[in-house]
Amino acid sequence: MADQELTERVQELISENPVLLFMKGTPTAPRCGFSMRTVQVLDQMGVEYGAIDVLPALQPLREVTSEISDWETFPQLYVNGDLLGGADIVEEMFTNGELAESLGVEQPARQEAEAEPAAAGDSPYQSPPMKIEGS
Amino acid sequence: MAADLGELKAMIESALPGSTAAVIDETGTGDHLRAEVKAPQFEGLTRIDQHRLVKAAVRERFDDGTIHALTIKILG
Repeated sequence: MADQELTERVQELISENPVLLFMKGTPTAPRCGFSMRTVQVLDQMGVEYGAIDVLPALQPLREVTSEISDWETFPQLYVNGDLLGGADIVEEMFTNGELAESLGVEQPARQEAEAEPAAAGDSPYQSPPMKIEGS
Repeated sequence: MAADLGELKAMIESALPGSTAAVIDETGTGDHLRAEVKAPQFEGLTRIDQHRLVKAAVRERFDDGTIHALTIKILG
């Protein structure tokens, strides 16, 4: 059974942030390839998003998201209160345009293959990472 | 214990009548698998709900530690 206080905190964060990513590490220093891929997609979408590093409280957060979203792996991207998916789903929805639709933005122009990817830290849209303390 | 790919395929296909599933061992270690599934139940569902259906079908093998990672590909 998930910790009640942490569950409430997570639900608050999900309802307060229209676009919220639970990830391993931070957008500027992802600690897992799947989290990094999700950040790379979000950074191309030009939306402001909140990011929460789950590593300090990995197991309690797994229990919480398992209960509220029936999903226990990270990353998890929430849009307008609903879990959209993890890295695979986010990438697939990015490719087929459904992600832009969910976020209410224009599909970004396809990046030139030779273009240098922007460093995550340079993104003007990104909110500072939020911390959640383990209990 | 390595996963039984045939059993996983059967679990998915019996949980989702009318579906066809292919389960592939991506790393050769038996615990990081890929499932490609086509099912009539997916019609009208969001991507996450489609994945939830597939995961629920094999949840027992996650819970007993047989599978650690399952990449799901929904075939339209």
